[in-house]
Amino acid sequence: MVETLVLIEHDRQQVKRPSLHAITLAQQFGGEYALLVLGHGLDEIAASLVSYGAAAVIFADDPALAEPLADRYATVIAEAARKYGAQTLLGASSTFSKDVLPRAAALLDAPMVTDVLAIEEMDGSIAYQRPINAGSMLAMVKLDGNRRVLTVRATAFEAPAANAAPCPTERFVFDAASLPNGMQFISREQRASDRPDLTEARVVVSGGRPLKDTETFERLVGGLADALGGAVGATRAAVDAGMAPNDYQIGQTGKVVAPELYIALGISGAIQHLAGIKDSRIIVAINKDPDAPIFQMATYGLVGDLHQIVPQLIESVRSG
Amino acid sequence: MDFAWSDQQRELLDAVGRFASQQLNYNVIENDRDGVFNHDAWKKCGDFGIHGLPVPTEYGGLGMDPLTTVAALERLGYACKDNGLLFSINAHMWTAIIPILANGTEAQKKKYLPGLCNGTLIGGNAMSEPNSGSDAFSLSTTAVKKGSKYILNGSKIFVTNGPIADLLVVFVTMDKARGADGLCAFVVEKDSPGLDVSKKIEKMGVRTSPMAEVFFADCEVPEENLLGKEGAGSFMFTKSMTWERGCILASAVGSMQRLLETSIRYAKERRQGGQSIGKFQRVADKIVNMKLRVQSARHMLYHCAWLRGQREPVYMEAAMAKLHISDCWVKCCEDAIQIRGGYGYMVEYEVERELRDAIGSRLYSGTSEIQRSIIASWLGV
Amino acid sequence: MTRGQSVEKILVPFKSVPDPYAGAAASTSKSVINPFDEIAIEEALRIRERGEAAEIVGVTIGAPAVDEQIRAALAMGVDRAIRIDDSRALDPYAVARILRALVEKEAPQVVIMGKQAVDDDSNQVGQMLAGLLGWPQATFVSKIEFLDNKTRARCTRETDGGLEVVAIDLPSIITTDLRLNEPRYVSLPGLMKARRKSIEVLTCEQLGVTVRPMTTTLSTSSPTRRAAGTRVGSVEELMAKLKQEAKVL
Repeated sequence: MVETLVLIEHDRQQVKRPSLHAITLAQQFGGEYALLVLGHGLDEIAASLVSYGAAAVIFADDPALAEPLADRYATVIAEAARKYGAQTLLGASSTFSKDVLPRAAALLDAPMVTDVLAIEEMDGSIAYQRPINAGSMLAMVKLDGNRRVLTVRATAFEAPAANAAPCPTERFVFDAASLPNGMQFISREQRASDRPDLTEARVVVSGGRPLKDTETFERLVGGLADALGGAVGATRAAVDAGMAPNDYQIGQTGKVVAPELYIALGISGAIQHLAGIKDSRIIVAINKDPDAPIFQMATYGLVGDLHQIVPQLIESVRSG
Repeated sequence: MDFAWSDQQRELLDAVGRFASQQLNYNVIENDRDGVFNHDAWKKCGDFGIHGLPVPTEYGGLGMDPLTTVAALERLGYACKDNGLLFSINAHMWTAIIPILANGTEAQKKKYLPGLCNGTLIGGNAMSEPNSGSDAFSLSTTAVKKGSKYILNGSKIFVTNGPIADLLVVFVTMDKARGADGLCAFVVEKDSPGLDVSKKIEKMGVRTSPMAEVFFADCEVPEENLLGKEGAGSFMFTKSMTWERGCILASAVGSMQRLLETSIRYAKERRQGGQSIGKFQRVADKIVNMKLRVQSARHMLYHCAWLRGQREPVYMEAAMAKLHISDCWVKCCEDAIQIRGGYGYMVEYEVERELRDAIGSRLYSGTSEIQRSIIASWLGV
Repeated sequence: MTRGQSVEKILVPFKSVPDPYAGAAASTSKSVINPFDEIAIEEALRIRERGEAAEIVGVTIGAPAVDEQIRAALAMGVDRAIRIDDSRALDPYAVARILRALVEKEAPQVVIMGKQAVDDDSNQVGQMLAGLLGWPQATFVSKIEFLDNKTRARCTRETDGGLEVVAIDLPSIITTDLRLNEPRYVSLPGLMKARRKSIEVLTCEQLGVTVRPMTTTLSTSSPTRRAAGTRVGSVEELMAKLKQEAKVL
């Protein structure tokens, strides 16, 4: 029996590191927590999770779970939460956790808070801080009831240390035949890339609509990212215009990143975009409009034509 | 006197404002520079329902009363920066739609009004001639009946929408000797034999509204295209002119409101000598004057429209509205430029274009001098 | 495209939210249909225009003030609308439970709704509703096609890793993402027609559902603003600062 169950995400090969940050919140709660992974062929993944101070790594391993279909996953997650008596179900915010955890919450008759940034003790109960209105405001909320489901914003919590004595791994047994059958996985895009994951990279270079087209976007934004060993991001406008794929999108309804260095090229700084980059340590903005809102937030701002500046910057980085 | 809008009116005006600000404000600077008409925006306005605002629903319009109509056009002018687009829409409404609605046979109304109301047909008006401007009824373009057709000869100038029109409402004389009583009007469809729409006219302002000279060389018009009766031309013209004068500058009131608001914002943000320039009395006075003009222009617009809705004659009030709003608009544009100093002179800041657009308002639909003559004669002097 | 029976009824739940584009300069607080829900309404209308659906029903929860957004939905083309009269501050789980009762009453074949409300940003209601009903779900969808005589839907989803495609049996819940479509603007003829369409008002009591929100907002605050930084004049200056001052390169 554990108080908290933490859902860990993987890409069928290895654990997605940002999902580990939810463990840090579990540790803040005090009390025992277990890690939960679902999928098929999970031996290595489960083994890689034993040093995070959990009471156990629970894995639900079955061909029926080879793809993350929300109806099946939520059923198994809810069953596991019940079996292990976990009052709290945690995950790090991602499209995966947002797809399955609310459904699991409903199965558990539990309320849910998305994108927890921090917790506070208030009058003997826990209050959760979360962003609202595209991150322009913060709300403190509390929950009633015996159970709760939470997703944390990974960038708001440190990565947990992997130095605890190894814990046991435990197979979660469930009746695969009685799982819901109304969803079928068809396909997913496979885009091979040498670049680091956007949510994990130390450096992110991002582009907006002034990059004009895919070729220019890749040459300038991609070029600078590669010179710096970083990941590539984009604004909603750039994705809408077809210059970049949807998974590059950063902002209120895209990814939230907090790298050491965020370079914004031709990005004016709409609130919805800024919501996704606020916690970056250093923000550099390059834009030809001196009144662009992003300059209010940038550590360093350079006013000018990015088509001239970025090639110079790439050259300067390469020559060290 | 109830100065409030109903919930339904407010909902409609909000819808107009949201539509216009989101859908119509692109490429305005370039289109103005190049004199390009925005067909896409025209179509959107047609789909949205602007063109048929005052037309009864049985002919494809929205059946709005005159006051709601001008309020909608005012909001359109506030939210849409393309004065040329609005000028083309207005010409289409007051010089093509209204004459056909007021004077057409059932067959003519059913044939033309639905398309004119949803913008799939573009209408224009051919009245002025090289030698007949303010002297409106001294026309030289003639029509002669020959069998089942009328044959038109002559030329027209300042034909708004000429290059893009599907039909033109053309005023001609059948008997010069009878002067004003000899006039009549026709609906002349494009591609009519003998019709030559050429010579695009390049203008100082409202440059995104196309205008042409039109030539009739034995132009053949079927007899069923006679609009109203022979000899009723001047009467029809005068009546539809009151619509035109009362309504064509509704969007100008909206433009002035926008100039006022942006000028206030500029005066608060722009700092010189350690303070925002709005604190300087000479700047503040200009803004106060703009406000006075906007308010008085608006009230004259609404009052004329309200009277029309009450089925009162508005010959004088329409002329007053047109005269006063056009003067206010030009002066507001001048002040908007002056407040911005050198920036106001730059194309990028979009106020110099407003002034160029506004100057025309003292000329079309009857010059300001003509409006004064009309008002004077109604006042009995 | 398979022809055949059409989906009888699509239910589109939508939320009235403060206008996210109003900006600080707005003098009055204006409400609009949540942009993601507007995309959902638009998609339902397009499905109907393709001949693949018969009736589009809109539903929202709120006080009479939200009737303005209901009329906007009707003006876009929704056939009829329901307002569940409840002016409490509800949380996503309460909303999902109320909607479940309505879904059981209306029996739509598909529920299409925005993936999140732009004021609350929770992104939970669709998934919770699906869980309560035991229906398949497709979230963050950027494309919808019906298959097999409208018994299934093939949906493209925008995920962290790129695009994914799933097929789901009907009846099901679909939540919309940004790039699914661009909503039509309300036209004046639409507005006029909307005045003749019906808005049904129901209470939770009439629906037979009693819910208490389980989330309470204790306070709201502004986040600490990042301090504005400095302007640099050249690439050289920028590189120098990044190396020496920020020590990030």
